[in-house]
Amino acid sequence: MTDAAILFDLLLAGSVIALAIASLTVRDMFAAIVLFVIFGLLSALAWVRLSAPDVALAEAAIGTGVTGALLLKTLHHLRYVTGKLGEGPARGLTPTAPVPAGVIWANAAFCGMITLGLALAFLGAPRSGPGFDALVAEAMPASGVDHPVTAVLLNFRAYDTLMEVVVLLAAVIAVWQIERGLSDAPAPALGEVWQGFARLTLPAIVVVGTYLLWKGSEAPGGAFQGGAVLAAVGLLLLLSRIYVPQPAHRGLARWAFVLGAGAFAGVALLVSGGGRVAFEYPAEHAYALILLIEGLVTISIAVTLAALFHGREPVAAPVPEGRNDT
Amino acid sequence: MMMIDPVILTLFLPLFGAIAAFVLPRAAAWVGLLAVLATGGAVAALVRDVLAAGEVVTQLGGWAPPLGIALRADGLSVAMLAMTAGVGLLVSIGALDSLRDLRERQYFWPLWLLLLTGMNGVYLGTDIFNLYVMIEVIALAAVGLTVLSGTKQAVRAGLEYMYASILGALLFLMGVGFVYLQTGRLDFAGLIAAEPSGAMSAALALMVVGLLLKTALFPLHFWLPAAHANATAPASALLSGLVVKAALYIFLRLTTYMPLPDEILVTLIGMLGAGAVLWGGVQALRAERLKLLVAWSTVVQIGLIFIAFARAGQVGLSESWKAAALLILAHGVAKSAMFLAAGRIKDEIGHDRIADLDKSDIRPTLAQFTFALAAISIIGLPPSLGFIGKWTLMEGAMAAGYWHWVAVTMIGTLMSVAYFSRVFAGFLRFDRMRGELAEHKGWALADAAPLTLAIAAISLGLMAAPILSFIELGYPFGAQ
Repeated sequence: MTDAAILFDLLLAGSVIALAIASLTVRDMFAAIVLFVIFGLLSALAWVRLSAPDVALAEAAIGTGVTGALLLKTLHHLRYVTGKLGEGPARGLTPTAPVPAGVIWANAAFCGMITLGLALAFLGAPRSGPGFDALVAEAMPASGVDHPVTAVLLNFRAYDTLMEVVVLLAAVIAVWQIERGLSDAPAPALGEVWQGFARLTLPAIVVVGTYLLWKGSEAPGGAFQGGAVLAAVGLLLLLSRIYVPQPAHRGLARWAFVLGAGAFAGVALLVSGGGRVAFEYPAEHAYALILLIEGLVTISIAVTLAALFHGREPVAAPVPEGRNDT
Repeated sequence: MMMIDPVILTLFLPLFGAIAAFVLPRAAAWVGLLAVLATGGAVAALVRDVLAAGEVVTQLGGWAPPLGIALRADGLSVAMLAMTAGVGLLVSIGALDSLRDLRERQYFWPLWLLLLTGMNGVYLGTDIFNLYVMIEVIALAAVGLTVLSGTKQAVRAGLEYMYASILGALLFLMGVGFVYLQTGRLDFAGLIAAEPSGAMSAALALMVVGLLLKTALFPLHFWLPAAHANATAPASALLSGLVVKAALYIFLRLTTYMPLPDEILVTLIGMLGAGAVLWGGVQALRAERLKLLVAWSTVVQIGLIFIAFARAGQVGLSESWKAAALLILAHGVAKSAMFLAAGRIKDEIGHDRIADLDKSDIRPTLAQFTFALAAISIIGLPPSLGFIGKWTLMEGAMAAGYWHWVAVTMIGTLMSVAYFSRVFAGFLRFDRMRGELAEHKGWALADAAPLTLAIAAISLGLMAAPILSFIELGYPFGAQ
C-alpha cells in the first residue's frame, strides 16, 4: 500500500515539474495556458497528498479555474487587438526587438541567486517545523467554529484575511480604472452545446459553491473557495451572454465589490468596546458572526472575480475604436 | 461616545474612506479628503499616546502573538505615520485642484485611501506575514495610481512596476515561509528568539532582496524612473514620497530583529547605495524631462538612505538607523513637494522638457520657487531636514573612520547640485524669451500644497532635535 502511494507521489511530482517546464517552453500561447491549467490541477492533487485540502480547493478553484479563464480571456483579447482573432495561435505577440544579452545574463544571475537562496533555506529547514498546531488546538474551543483553518482565517488572524479581501478590492478598482479606450473583443461564438451545458451546470455550481461556504465552519472549504466556485456562475453568465453588464448596474456592482471588506471591517469594529478590542467576537456570537462575514465575503469574492474576468467598467458611451495614445 | 483605540482608527478610517469614496464616485473627492483628515486626527491621538506611554500595543481579536497579530506604535512608527498623514493631506489638497479628468478624479481617491491603509498597516505591523499582505495592498493600489493618467507610457511603466512589485512581494513571502518553517512563528519577537543558522540567513536574504526590489535600490531600481515620471503629479508625489518608504521601513525593522549575519553584507548594502548615488546622479544629469530627473533623484536618495544604514558598519547599526530615518522623513516631505511643483510647471507651460523650460511665455513663478525650496532640502543645504539627515550620516561615518561613505555622500551632493542647476538655469534665463512674458495664471490651490510641503521640509530641520528624541520613544531598535 505504502509503496503504491510513494509510486503515485513520485509520478505526481514528476508530472508537475514536467508540466511546469512544458508550459514555460511551449511556443503556442494557447497550449501554454492549457498546460498551466493541467499543472494547476495536478498541484491541487499534490496539496491533497500533503493533507492540505483547503489549499487544494483554493488551488483548484482560484489558481487553476479562475486564473485559467482569465488567461484565456486575455489571449482572446490580445488576438483581437492585434488583428489576429481569426488566425491560429498568437505567436508574434512577444516583442520583436531581441532582448540584449546583458539583460539575459543579468536575469540569469539574479534567478540563479534566488534559486541558491531557496535551496539553502530548504536544505537547512527542519523536516517538520514547530508551527502553530499546538497553539491552535488550545485556542479552538474559544474560536466559535470547528475547523482549525477557518478559526485561523476568520478569528485568530482575521486581520490578515480582512486585508486579503482588501487586496481583491484594490485589484478590481485598479482594473476598472485602467481599462478605457481599448475596444472590447467580441465574445467568441458559442454553439448550442455550450448553451445547454451552461443551463445544466449553473444550478449545480450554485449548490456546490454554497455548500463549500457552509461547510467551511467544520470542514475544508470557506469563503475564498466558495466564492471562486460561485464566480464560475458569473463567468458562464457572461460567456453565454445571458447577462451583459450595463452601465446602469455599476452602482450595484460597486456595492457588491465593497460588501465583504466593509462588512468584515464593520463587524471587527462593532464588536470592540466594553473591554474588547477590534476583531474580538463575543464567544456566544462568534459562530454567527463568522458565518455572516464569510457569507458576505463570498458574495464579494464571487462578484469581484467575475468582474475581473469581464475586465472593464461598463461605461455608457461606446469608446471609439483604437488606442488612446496621447 | 465609544472610545476606539487610535491604532485601530489609523487603519480603519482610510479603509472605510476608500469604500465610501468608491461607492459614491460623485462625492469621492470630499469623502476622500474627510477620510484623510480624520486619519490625521487618529495619528495625532497616537502621537499623544506615544508621548505619554512610549509604546502602544494592541493585540487584535484579543489573541496574543504568535497565534494572533499585534499592532505596535512606537516613536519611529508614529513618526512615519505622521509624515504619511501630513504629506498625504497636502497632496490630497493639491489633488482637489490639479486632477481635471473626471475618471482621474473618481478613481484617485479610493486607490489613494487603500494605499494609505496599506502604509499605515506596515508602520504598525509586527508580524511578517501580515507585512506581506500589507505590501500587496500597497502594490495594487500603487500600480492603480501609476496608470491613473491613462497614457500609453504610464500603462507600460505601470505594468513593469507591477511585475517588479509582485516579484518582490513573492520573494518576501518565500522568505516568510521559510522563517515559519524554521521557527514556527511569524511575529518579530519570534525572530529575535530564533537561532542564527545558514537556513535562516538564506530566508532573510530572500526577504531582503524582495524588499530591495520594492524600494528600488540600485541595481533593482529599473522600474522606478518610468513609473514615477509618467504618473499624474499627485500620484507621483505619493509614489516617490511615500510608497518606496514602506519597504525601506520593513527593511530597517527586519534587520533589527534578524541582524545581517556578516559585516560584509552591511558593506555590500552600502555599496549598492553608493552605486545608486552615482548611477542615479549620472542619469539625472542626462534626463531630458523634468519629471524624469526628479524620479532619478529618488533613486539617488534611496541609495543615500542605504549608505546611512551602512555608514558605521555592524557595530554602529544601533545608531545608524536614526540617520536613515531622518533621511526617510526628509525625502518624503521634500520629494512630494518637488513632484507636485514639477506637475504644476508641466500643467502651466504645457511640457516638461528641461531644455525648453526657458522658452515658454508663461512663468509659473510660485511652482518654480517651490521646486527650488524642495531642492534645497534634497541637496542637503542647511537648515533643511535633508541637511540634518546628511550631516548625521557623515558624522557617524567619520566617527567610525569610514571616510569612503563620506566621500560618496559628498560626490552625490555635488552631482545633485549639478543636475538641479540644469533646472534652475531654465527657471532663471527667461531673457531668452523674446516678446511679452505672460505671468503665471494667478494663484491656484494646487500651488499652496507643494509650497507648504517645501517650507516644512526646510523648517523641520530646525526641529531636528525634538524629532530625533521622538523617534527614539518606545525604543524602536531595542537599545535601552
